[in-house]
Amino acid sequence: MKEMLIILFSVVLIDNLVLSRFLGVCSFIGLTKDLKNAMGMSVAVIFVMMVATGITYPIYWSILEPINLGYLQTVIFILVIAAVVQVLEAIIRKAFPPLYKAMGIFLPLITTNCAILGVMLINIQEIYNFGSAMMSSFGAGIGYMLAMFLFTGVRSKMENADIPEFMKGLPITLMAAAIVSVSFMGFKGVIENLFG
Amino acid sequence: MVIFLLNPVLNAALIGGGTALLMGAIILVVFHYFSVEKDPLQEELEGVLPGVNCGGCGYSGCSAYASALADKSEEDTTLCTAGGQDTATAIAEALGVEAGTVVPLVANVFCQGTCEHTHERYDYTGTQHCASANGLFSGPNSCTYGCLGFGDCIAVCEFHAIYIEDGVAKVNHNLCTACGKCVKACPKQLIQLIPKHELATNVTCSNHWPARVARSACKVACIACSRCVRTCPVNAIKIEDNLAVIDQYACIHCGECVEVCPTKAIHRGLLDGPCAVDEEKKAAG
Repeated sequence: MKEMLIILFSVVLIDNLVLSRFLGVCSFIGLTKDLKNAMGMSVAVIFVMMVATGITYPIYWSILEPINLGYLQTVIFILVIAAVVQVLEAIIRKAFPPLYKAMGIFLPLITTNCAILGVMLINIQEIYNFGSAMMSSFGAGIGYMLAMFLFTGVRSKMENADIPEFMKGLPITLMAAAIVSVSFMGFKGVIENLFG
Repeated sequence: MVIFLLNPVLNAALIGGGTALLMGAIILVVFHYFSVEKDPLQEELEGVLPGVNCGGCGYSGCSAYASALADKSEEDTTLCTAGGQDTATAIAEALGVEAGTVVPLVANVFCQGTCEHTHERYDYTGTQHCASANGLFSGPNSCTYGCLGFGDCIAVCEFHAIYIEDGVAKVNHNLCTACGKCVKACPKQLIQLIPKHELATNVTCSNHWPARVARSACKVACIACSRCVRTCPVNAIKIEDNLAVIDQYACIHCGECVEVCPTKAIHRGLLDGPCAVDEEKKAAG
């Protein structure tokens, strides 16, 4: 249990997917203009992250690793994730229309999202067991959600700020993202004090 | 498991290709059983809309507007500026509601300070864009409210409705669909979307300087002399910040103000366009 909590906290706060590992930055910049989009995307990411781990983890450890094809993980994972997301989208659209309305439009964005692939690869690299891998994926999704919500708040403040003409738009957004990312460095050492 | 004892290159190819084939098959099967029919109403609406994706309606494109209309989240059938009344009627027919009336809008440039009426304050040799020229002391034009003539509006116009004549942008009102892109592009805010019938009587000037300065900058500037105010039979004109403003709701388009304006700043324009200009030139030459 303690181990699980350590994984959860370290993935959410210290190795935050967006702010420390710089994965999934395009959706982080593109979909943080209002809270509704950020919410939809985050929920979709958490959902796909869990499903993709549930599929890629067994593929790696029971097929690729035994026949020494571990190096194929990147290619195979992209293929599997993209296919799974497509299939999920079709099923959700038919079976759960309200759910599709809430997060359906974000699913195609996730098919080749680096955040998903990154977490899959990290799960393999860290040699987690299946439970830990699922927890790590869930935590990574929560961390993504946290970063999205924080940054949506920052951007809504920037709407009313008097920004110099040459910094308007993308430049100020990227700088704000950098500052939020730096602020997350403050969480280094939190785990030792919480659980140590 | 015998096959996996083959050489490693073949293994990799087999696993990669096999996975791809398997995934392809799964997707095919799932899509076959879980296919959702597209709303036929939306398809019909998409057919009715002009399909130029100009964004004039406020949606990201024609299909976005069609889908909003189809699922009843948008009820206004008159939003398509490119299609005008015909499209609004067709949409209303498809939806089975009463057609609203479209007030056709058109973009108009509120400046007529051509090269012959204005002069250059300095020799501008920088990037040939209005926005850059505007950044350098508000541009080389003697009237800093006036059109710079580098054509930032032409660059954004998808309908080839804007052209430059003697250093001033003009709108071909027959081609203009009132998508509003030029309004955003003009660094001087000279272009506005106005109802087409308001073209009839217009103060084609945006200069807020007092008379003497305005006169020295441009020969056709409004000098706020108030003659039009006194002449107007329905009191539709007033001077606001050194510029005559016509209240278009009160205006009866009698043309009296056009006659008395000493600088010809009030324009009696109907539909304007290259064709009209060509004919004028033919008549003159």
